Amino acid sequence: MNHLPIYVHLVIAVTIGGIAILNAALFWFIPCLTRRDLYFAVTVPPGFRDQSQGVSILRRYRIELILLSVLALVAFVAGIARFGVGFARGGLLIQVVASFIAFYRARLRVLPYAVPPTMIREAELHGHNRIIPGGWMAASGPFILLVVCAAYLWFHGRESSARSVYLISTAGILVALTLLLYGLAHWVRPVYAGGPERARELKFRRTVSAITLAAEYYVTLQASWIVLVPRRGDLAAVGLLPLAFVFVLVVIVVLARLGQGGSRMPAGDHARIASSAVPIGDRTPDRYWRLGIFYFNPDDSAVLVEKRFGLGYSLNFARPTAWIIVLLVLMAPLIPVLAHLTQFLHTTQR
Amino acid sequence: MLRIDLASRVPVYEQIANGLRAELVSGKFSPGAKLPTVRILAIKLGVHYNTVAEAYRQLANEGWLELKRHHGALVRERDRPQAGPDAMERFSRPLRELVAKGLADGLSPRSLAREMTETARRLEGEPSP
Repeated sequence: MNHLPIYVHLVIAVTIGGIAILNAALFWFIPCLTRRDLYFAVTVPPGFRDQSQGVSILRRYRIELILLSVLALVAFVAGIARFGVGFARGGLLIQVVASFIAFYRARLRVLPYAVPPTMIREAELHGHNRIIPGGWMAASGPFILLVVCAAYLWFHGRESSARSVYLISTAGILVALTLLLYGLAHWVRPVYAGGPERARELKFRRTVSAITLAAEYYVTLQASWIVLVPRRGDLAAVGLLPLAFVFVLVVIVVLARLGQGGSRMPAGDHARIASSAVPIGDRTPDRYWRLGIFYFNPDDSAVLVEKRFGLGYSLNFARPTAWIIVLLVLMAPLIPVLAHLTQFLHTTQR
Repeated sequence: MLRIDLASRVPVYEQIANGLRAELVSGKFSPGAKLPTVRILAIKLGVHYNTVAEAYRQLANEGWLELKRHHGALVRERDRPQAGPDAMERFSRPLRELVAKGLADGLSPRSLAREMTETARRLEGEPSP
């Protein structure tokens, strides 16, 4: 990376610095965005967060968050000074791990106040809700674009092993995102079966689907740009980094405004309907949330459930489908590494 | 709307079968209508697939549903079966027990009578007063 011009280093440093600030802001505000009876991934009485114990736990969590983030920042700056801008990603990792430690410690403080979540489950038996905007026609768009891109390269004799590997890894990411999109339509367990809360939840799921679809198009357009730009493809990739950051920023702001499961959304016409309005959490038992982040419940058929900490949905790691999605996401960056390794072994054997 | 209570002593598959039977008896599903697939209903209720499959099998054995692999469950046209000699006793005994439990839980005889009258009205298709 050291052969790159100084402005490229600057772009990388500013983008990663931005991600670090965004991450800190996210960890700062997110405990306030969950449903009223979930606090640091623990089911609590709905008014708990306003009581003195709840306020005190939040205050302590934020103090720890500031201290740990400052420590991470020091390590980040020292690392960059010592090892160059390449260390920036390591600094980010330190910050994320530190933030999770603060979160986990807060969760341990909330656990003594936990109450059993509701055991009532409801299901609507009639009707089908359209979740994916534009349906499967829109979802197939990125794959078509990728095929067109590959065909263009092939017809113009510009295909190379590096480009092919990049397109294959992009296809892997697309398959994972499409699986997620399908999951949002079919594998999510709704918290509410009716009323305005149900309407909000559906709107939220449609929004998350639209974001996933937009991410598919973004990944495809980025891949096409990188493989089609004739020279200095690596610089093109660096140029797209801030764009990716802006995309993530917009997504986080939109989801934060909507609240967990769309709980902060206006219900529109449904507001007039008598609301069941009693907060009922997310109907997942606390004991199946490992570290408050990973959901592992073999008795729950849902592949996606509402996150306990964060925005959007979390995978149920007790379902094999969840692992297929994870493997696909992990495989995408591994494909280029394996390709390089194969090439290296091939060269050394000769 | 199907509602189950995971904390109840009644097995979950039985609660699902009872809830679905109530919907079918009320005529909310006409013959030929499709029920949600086992997978979808299990996801919505947050229970294992086998639990829902067991409930569907029970209803299929009673003649309410026709199960088709990969196509969910279809509601069947069902003739009213001939009641056996002990059918009324099998109905009355749990009803008497339920009334006794309601009284033991503090419900007034008047409120129980009102609830049963309401149920009887719905059964005969009369509108509520």
